[in-house]
Amino acid sequence: MAKIIAVTGKGGTGKTATTSLLIRHLTKGDKVVLAVDADPDTNLPETLGCDTSKTIGDIKEYMHEERDNLPPDINKESILEGKLYEILEEMPGYDLLVMGRPEGSGCYCYVNNLLRGIMNKLVTNYDVLIIDAEAGLEHFSRKIFRNVDDLVVVTDGSRRGLRTAERIRELVNELETDVSNIYVIANKVTDANRERISSTAEELGLELIGMIPVDEMIVDRDLAGEPLFDLPDDSIAVQEVERISQKLGL
Amino acid sequence: MADEFPFEISPMFEGERIRKDGMYAELAGPKSKGFELVRAADMSEVEDGKFTLIGPDISDMEEGSRYPLAMVYKIAGELVEADLESIVERRNHEFQNYIQGFMHLNQRDDVWMRVSKDAVEKGMTSFESVAKAIMMLFKNELPFIEAVEAIYITDEAEIDKEIDNARAVYKARDDRTRDLHDEDVDTFYGCTLCASFAPTNVCVVTPDRISLCGAINWFDGRAAAKVDPEGPQFAIPKGDVIDAESGEYTGVNEAAERLSSGEYDRIKLHSFFEYPHTSCGCFEVVGFYIPEVDGIGWVDRDFAGTAPNGLQFSTMAGQTGGGKQVVGFLGIGVNYFRSPKFIEADGGWDRVVWMPKMLKDKVLNDIPEDMRDKVATEEDATDVDSLRNFLKDKEHPILERWVEEEEEAPEEEEATEAAPQAGFAAPQMQMPANFMPSMPMTGGSGSGGVKIVLKNAKVSIDKVIIKKQD
Repeated sequence: MAKIIAVTGKGGTGKTATTSLLIRHLTKGDKVVLAVDADPDTNLPETLGCDTSKTIGDIKEYMHEERDNLPPDINKESILEGKLYEILEEMPGYDLLVMGRPEGSGCYCYVNNLLRGIMNKLVTNYDVLIIDAEAGLEHFSRKIFRNVDDLVVVTDGSRRGLRTAERIRELVNELETDVSNIYVIANKVTDANRERISSTAEELGLELIGMIPVDEMIVDRDLAGEPLFDLPDDSIAVQEVERISQKLGL
Repeated sequence: MADEFPFEISPMFEGERIRKDGMYAELAGPKSKGFELVRAADMSEVEDGKFTLIGPDISDMEEGSRYPLAMVYKIAGELVEADLESIVERRNHEFQNYIQGFMHLNQRDDVWMRVSKDAVEKGMTSFESVAKAIMMLFKNELPFIEAVEAIYITDEAEIDKEIDNARAVYKARDDRTRDLHDEDVDTFYGCTLCASFAPTNVCVVTPDRISLCGAINWFDGRAAAKVDPEGPQFAIPKGDVIDAESGEYTGVNEAAERLSSGEYDRIKLHSFFEYPHTSCGCFEVVGFYIPEVDGIGWVDRDFAGTAPNGLQFSTMAGQTGGGKQVVGFLGIGVNYFRSPKFIEADGGWDRVVWMPKMLKDKVLNDIPEDMRDKVATEEDATDVDSLRNFLKDKEHPILERWVEEEEEAPEEEEATEAAPQAGFAAPQMQMPANFMPSMPMTGGSGSGGVKIVLKNAKVSIDKVIIKKQD
């Protein structure tokens, strides 16, 4: 069974950068990885340097629009599965799936139900599933992903960021999704805020498993809109993510 | 049994994905072409177990290459008939996925297959072994097949020659399938996907009635119930026919009682006024009774305007939803307009007086030809008065009801508590307490006065002026 890791956090904390560095680490080994961009607001594909256009949202819309035109006795699960395989971007060492736009105004109960079944089957093909998730955890509440081994909350140095981590922990308790562990990664850490972050995390009872320092290489690439996936091994952020990966058993 | 094949065969390989990294060859699929087709034939035309390949074999293909692929199976047997073709054809998907290292997606002329590097290394170098395994599974699992023969085509020109023929077969099948009606089956299907927010909802899906959300037709129900009979879609035995026209069946009534926890024990599948189907909240369209014209209007989710009764979709949906039987409103899926049994109990299309233009255009071809210009849209009528005039102009069959009511009215007037407005009378039914009639209810022609009965009503008015009519 695939290990399922969800990375979440407040917008702008570097959650997508962290996700792509975790994927970068994973593809160096022999594990087969499914990466999922489950935040319509992020750009995991660009960060990974992957060109992809179609999303799960698009195929759900297709199923919605075309349902009366499809042959009446066609197996819709098989159609949806085929469409999903079509949009699954195949990269060396990992596949990428983009959840995409939110649903329209109609009823998506049925198509989501089919999707849950297909995702359950699909996930068995991978060693690791890593999800870049928006802080509202919408796809989890919809049970598209049933269980999560490690929920990783990325935060910046601010108290607000750590508060978000706390709120996400509360949200998880309300979801029917099983989450085994909740960890926190602090990002954009400097010598000035390092101590403070540790103590705030401790005060809030959050398990801090890594502190990614501000990395000039990432800053430059972000400015230039370049992918982070091929950062060199001597990037200080890459090195910290390596240590975090070990703690996560990746 | 699998010893004769250079690969494992087991249901546990279903869902096995062959990634690009591990793929030896890709067959058909979105970047190429192909199809799968099962044809019933006479015993004399089928040579049992024979395999023919037209075009290159797996061993002729380079690693990482892509080829078109068509798979044709001819089946024969005493019980084999054309109606079974699609059932057998669908099993090709399942059986090919049983083969380790072979991936099959989609169906018909959308098929998409991959062969894995591992499988080729282990000896899957010819389509013959794959086809023979499938033929073996066909005969083992579907005993009515006495003889089966397979023809695989990887030659593009040859596929081009055959693909139109295959598409014609699919189309003929679809036409036959579309011709399936409630009376042709003995099982309907229920769905509880909405049960969490509409606990008393009883969704019954029949060949002539799509689910209210529009997503689940009878075939979808059948497919899902077969895979997981305890799942959200399940079989409802039809039972005995109580009334075919309104669509009342003993099995449906029993299911209604069970699914609504005793709230409802009768449902007429094709009735608007009497024991209508419950409305969940996901419905695509809501029907509303317009007492002033004794007709039914329909408004869909996409229509942002106001219906002639002065209400918007969202308001009516709010009143109708929640899994209740609400007389005077009915939630449906768009495709129900295409059903030959569309509100049959209440006169079908003859009772329809208004729908938004977009919705009307969408189902225009399914409206009986003589009714097409008689159903008003927001371009023809925005309130009850303009609707009434439109219906008169177009000689809508609803006018016959007005005449009948006018003739009957004088006799009934004394007896009925809430006297129907002569000229545009209400049907014989009990309005629910929360039903909102369109105001004002002015006196009609020739009636000797008006009696208005309000039940459970809260009315606050700043000023009322009543004047004698000149």
